[in-house]
Amino acid sequence: MSLAIAGIGWVTPLGSEVTTVWKRLLAGEEAIAETISTRLNSQAYPVFRVPSNALPSLPAHPRLRRVSAISRFAAGAALAALHDAKVNVDLTVAPRTAVIFATANGGVNYTTRFYHDVIESGAQRASPLLFPETVFNAPSSHLAAILGITGASYTLVGDGAVGVLALKMAQDLMEEERLDYCIVVCAEEADWILCDAYRKWRLQRSAAPIELFREPPRGMILSEGAGAVVLTREGKIRVEKISAGGNFSRQTEASDWIDKVYVDLAGGKIDLVVGSANGTFIDAAEHQAWQRHCAGALFYSPKPALGEAVSAGGFWQLISAVQALRSQQVPPLLRAPASMTSEPKTRFQRALVSVCGLNQQVGGLLVTQPF
Amino acid sequence: MTKKSAKNGRPKPARVAVVAAGVVSPLGFGLGETERALRESRDCISPVNQFSVEQCRCKTAGQVSDERLVKIAGRAQRPGRLHRSAWMIMSALEQALAHEPDFRPELAVIGTTSGGMTFGEQYYRAVHSGRGVSSTPRLIANYPPQKPMVDALEAFGISIPCQIIANACASGTNAIGHAFQCIRSGRHERVLTGGYDALSELVFVGFDSLQAATPEKCRPFDRERTGMVLGEGAAMLLLENLDLAQKRGALILAEIVGYGISTDNHHLTQPNPSGSGPRQAMQGALEDAQLSPDAIDYINAHGTATPFNDAAEGKAIAELFDGVAVSSTKGMMGHSLGAAGAIEAVFTMLALQHQFLPANINFRNPDPNLDLNIVANDARPAKVQSALSNSFGFGGTNASLILQRAA
Repeated sequence: MSLAIAGIGWVTPLGSEVTTVWKRLLAGEEAIAETISTRLNSQAYPVFRVPSNALPSLPAHPRLRRVSAISRFAAGAALAALHDAKVNVDLTVAPRTAVIFATANGGVNYTTRFYHDVIESGAQRASPLLFPETVFNAPSSHLAAILGITGASYTLVGDGAVGVLALKMAQDLMEEERLDYCIVVCAEEADWILCDAYRKWRLQRSAAPIELFREPPRGMILSEGAGAVVLTREGKIRVEKISAGGNFSRQTEASDWIDKVYVDLAGGKIDLVVGSANGTFIDAAEHQAWQRHCAGALFYSPKPALGEAVSAGGFWQLISAVQALRSQQVPPLLRAPASMTSEPKTRFQRALVSVCGLNQQVGGLLVTQPF
Repeated sequence: MTKKSAKNGRPKPARVAVVAAGVVSPLGFGLGETERALRESRDCISPVNQFSVEQCRCKTAGQVSDERLVKIAGRAQRPGRLHRSAWMIMSALEQALAHEPDFRPELAVIGTTSGGMTFGEQYYRAVHSGRGVSSTPRLIANYPPQKPMVDALEAFGISIPCQIIANACASGTNAIGHAFQCIRSGRHERVLTGGYDALSELVFVGFDSLQAATPEKCRPFDRERTGMVLGEGAAMLLLENLDLAQKRGALILAEIVGYGISTDNHHLTQPNPSGSGPRQAMQGALEDAQLSPDAIDYINAHGTATPFNDAAEGKAIAELFDGVAVSSTKGMMGHSLGAAGAIEAVFTMLALQHQFLPANINFRNPDPNLDLNIVANDARPAKVQSALSNSFGFGGTNASLILQRAA
């Protein structure tokens, strides 16, 4: 079934207005890492956060009063994408629109706060206000409420590649004639416990920057934010193919799985690969597949500039690919060996988005804009 | 595989069969044990033994026997690293695949709410206590919600894309519904679907803090209902294009004929008292199945026994149907959240297969505000041709599924 990207929106550590952030990426800017910590240990963790002034203004909806950052990020990106698509979700459009929200870590800020209170003060002191916001589908519920959508609303969980599975779900939903639009949003919020976990897992480094394709890999820096796309059936930017990929058992198997995704998608000439290289084991696995299947294509990863925002990071890759097709420009690949960078091409028609998560999932898609 | 409709040139929707299923719940392991427990209307709620509930109002839950789970865990490499919910999935999957050993799904669509949450709890407690934990990497790598399913698939050598739906308590029904749509549209021929969730302290305390959990018996639709008890479990269903299944001579357990989904924007944790959300989901499923309400012989209700949920669902059922038999099976095994929809779809399938109505236990007094035909306390034989299963969750997610007896 034909699927087109009608609108894009993102909330990133470099801002939230698509063209402004794109200009900053084109100029080679990187987000500035700040440190977060917990009183539970003496650690400090570098993280790329969304500046408070970067969040787009949100409607004064009662649902947004006490919500966690992830819900605000998701709403900001989704509303921006709808604006970009020139879609007004009114009483006619709402019943013909579905929402799919995807995340890896969900409302982790409230989850840790809630559980901390349980441990420190006992179950009797646990806050009934916090608990509902810990549920994975809280952001999609808020978004549906803001937009007045009363039909299909789904939340998917997974790792960095969950956005690809969400797009596949959107493709399946759009088979139904009753839908005209599907809003797909991925969002994450940063938290010290995630940084601690990724560090113990030897995936997060202790200080910026993210350096790509180093051997051995030096690790990523966690980030936060959201990415959103509005999907419809007709449009200039087309989703030509989605490879829902699969799951690898060990990090050493990642390259085989990424290779399968490239085999699935790389038929025909690819002008650009937007990968998920982030300073971890993913880099070598992706490099191998890129060299084998699309060596002539330019390679770009937004992660040195924006950080590793897990599910949202996967969508930032997709949005980067769309922006590259729209603007016919690609930002410089930062913090990578010179051998990985090449002269920018002048015409981009087909972009392969290859997404590999840190927790076993891979997937990808082919985005095209015929001249 | 799909035939073109003469009307609009679009493929004729494929019919969808359940060709095998497996279930693990407080009621038992497997379809046989589960059917017996349902027929006996067994109360399988017991005092919580997995964590301290000293400070909670509610102190009971429906729990799955660890002794039996451990036996299946040996199937995986390094089973000790797996989460309990992965063991439950493995057991349910093993049962299903025992009936269909050559079933090769192209996609998995599975529901959960909290996945490996207890590993996250252990990890947080380790950090909080300031002590080092040698198993920390295992906890970190295996706590994400999708991980138990990915591990279970790996144990069976199945490597397929895996969509994990986390639509709160409607997750399991949403998963089956979406899997059904994937086959019906012709995009897939075989899909593995279901749901899983294991008890966790965080979730238990969460429902307790909301006073949604009861210190008493769980009495769905009763006038004196005071709330839910939690449960746990997993159910896996193998769905296949019915024509293909029939062609290869597969045993058809049931046919899925309709699915409805709605989002109630009234409140994050409370349904619109009008019952509009459940009503929209049930109506959607009926339209999808091209059935009128009087074609439904039995409704397996969401029926959590919270005052608001049962009032909204009961109102919607009473308005839409005329005296249909209704029961909530949560009084027997508790509310297993993301697994509930899948487990209850299996219960509904068993009701269709074996022609009986599962009971709504602990029922004493009808709610005068709800005009419902409750299957009170005892299961009973009945002619059941079409049945509807409801699941509703936080965030206003509502899902309804219609199953029919295999021809």
